[in-house]
Amino acid sequence: MKLTTLTAALALAGTTALAAEKTLDIGVSDALTGGAAVYGLPQANAVKMAAEEINAAGGIKVGDDTYMLNVIAYDDKANPTEASNSVRKLIDRDGVKYILGFCCSGATGAVASFIENEDAVMLVGNAAERSITTREIPNLVRTRPPADYTGAAAGTFVAQKGHKKVAVLGALDIGFYASYVDAFEKELEKAGGEIVTRESFGLKDRDMTPQLTKIRELGPDAILVVGYVEPAAFIYRQAVELGIDVPRFGFTSGSEEQFLRVATSEQMEGVWDLRPTELTLLSASDNGIAYHANYSEKYGIAPSPSSPYAYDQTYALKDAIEAAGTVDDTEAVAAALRELPVPDEVVMQYLPVDGKMFDVNGQAYTSNGAFQWQGGNWVFVQDLPSDAAAYSAFLSTID
Amino acid sequence: MIEILQQIINGMAIGGVYVLIALGLTTVFGILGIAHFAHGSVSMFGGYLTFFLVVMWGLPLALAILIALVVGFLLGVLIELLAYRPVRNANHINAFIVALGLTMMVEGLNLEFFGHEQVVIPTDFSRVFNIGGVTIPELRLYVILAAALLIAAMTIFVEKTKTGQAIRAVAENRDAAILMGVNVNTIPLVVFSISTALGVCAGVMVGALFAIAPGIGEGLVVKGFAVLILGGLGSIPGAVVGGLVLGITEALAAGFISSAYKDVIAFVAMILVLLVRPQGLMGKA
Repeated sequence: MKLTTLTAALALAGTTALAAEKTLDIGVSDALTGGAAVYGLPQANAVKMAAEEINAAGGIKVGDDTYMLNVIAYDDKANPTEASNSVRKLIDRDGVKYILGFCCSGATGAVASFIENEDAVMLVGNAAERSITTREIPNLVRTRPPADYTGAAAGTFVAQKGHKKVAVLGALDIGFYASYVDAFEKELEKAGGEIVTRESFGLKDRDMTPQLTKIRELGPDAILVVGYVEPAAFIYRQAVELGIDVPRFGFTSGSEEQFLRVATSEQMEGVWDLRPTELTLLSASDNGIAYHANYSEKYGIAPSPSSPYAYDQTYALKDAIEAAGTVDDTEAVAAALRELPVPDEVVMQYLPVDGKMFDVNGQAYTSNGAFQWQGGNWVFVQDLPSDAAAYSAFLSTID
Repeated sequence: MIEILQQIINGMAIGGVYVLIALGLTTVFGILGIAHFAHGSVSMFGGYLTFFLVVMWGLPLALAILIALVVGFLLGVLIELLAYRPVRNANHINAFIVALGLTMMVEGLNLEFFGHEQVVIPTDFSRVFNIGGVTIPELRLYVILAAALLIAAMTIFVEKTKTGQAIRAVAENRDAAILMGVNVNTIPLVVFSISTALGVCAGVMVGALFAIAPGIGEGLVVKGFAVLILGGLGSIPGAVVGGLVLGITEALAAGFISSAYKDVIAFVAMILVLLVRPQGLMGKA
């Protein structure tokens, strides 16, 4: 009996020694300050929260080892140079192999241009520029669908509402916003409609009354606003102040809290946001409701609608590492990501292509939705036409 | 016609803010010859402080502005005493470097104290007036009126008071002013105090009309210097005319030519004016 106990104790000690608990550093490069922090900071928070949940649930199992995640986050200010420096620091100094975050297209594009040559895997979140996943980069995947995928759906929706003359006001010097409008216009024109003017603004602009005055004189049926939350909120407010009384559609992905810092709920009433079916409490799945509650409790502020893209990255990475059975072989993990079914824990509602979360280009697709501001909240009204398989095939044809 | 009038009204509100920024800059430059780059960041400090007092402490807006003005006044004294006075008699490049350093310092302090988030100063002015098809939001109207009031007060102060006369005397001829018994150690303190208080007013207006965020002050100070050059260096009427011209030109350019190039068009217009009048619109040849 004594011998059996001793043997069991030795065996247990041996197992403990072999199956060590290790730490896996993962990096985040995102806009933690500056104008794009409205998207970047919630993403970084989401990764940290997901990492804590994964650790609390026992970590990532690789063979006999268990890895606890440690997040190292750097502020790239959505600036291409800063992002390149952040990622270089993560890879060269911190020895990180898995880099998440990436809210904004300019900074993301800069990192994507060299990541293929690195022993690392890049998981892109909110950045919506199409070209990020048309370069056939094997060690890059993205959770957010490209802007034109959503823009086409939005154009169809607005045309179906019977609007023929649409005025656009947007951050049109930013590629993915321009591509959203291009795709929107194509679908609108198919239905006999047209864009009567394309007015633009800079990301730091807050006075849009000159552009709105011009739009008012043109007498459009509807307005389409594409841009960051903060300038968009000013547009919605100033449109009301100028007495513009036509339906307002947008592509902004801002939370209620973010809009209410600038405009009143009355000024926002009736505004549409035509975007991927991102998080809103009123349309969320069980995962989404839990995410919203946990995030709000942890950070004392509601999560932005697009922040789960980064949360979902973390769970996709966990599943891919476990499927590949390694943390050191980044090629194997990158390949596993491309074969991955949609993880159970994700918040966004992904549309798998051939049963996989990411298509051959490393691109994931969510459904698109029409959300409307009603009584102080974004309310999910209906799905927008979203053919992920057809768009994936189209994406593969682009060089 | 309504569209033109509307654009002019649109431009007057932002033009009023430019005027206040430029008035602060032009008095400092006219008297002391200092390009006070930190003026925009100091303005933002005033806006942030007002926001903080209204939102965090729950003070009424008018009281918060009053406190911010007093703090701005004192801040101006500190800036002159601690930053610029030690280099007053040194080479101009020293004051230039101090100005740049001060800008970074105030920006850093703003970030440290108030964070990186965009903030909007809440007001109760949500009515919109419609006069013959031209709409004027209540808040914009008050901004235009407040700017006009401050310009008038500044003009009366400089033209009609003894201190104002002393300021003009120092600007005109410092040595002669000393001989006439003007205390040239006090004048820079007064100038910086008033300049900073005007900047605080501009910061409050920007914060209520639009938003305050890191980086906004830098843009404002660039526009302020543009107004200075357009109106004529050191000229108070020049700052008024230049600010309004720049604000209205931007609005008209965005409305009638191209919103993508409104800043470029405004600056091209400024260059054209300077080709004809190198001394600025109201500057002395």
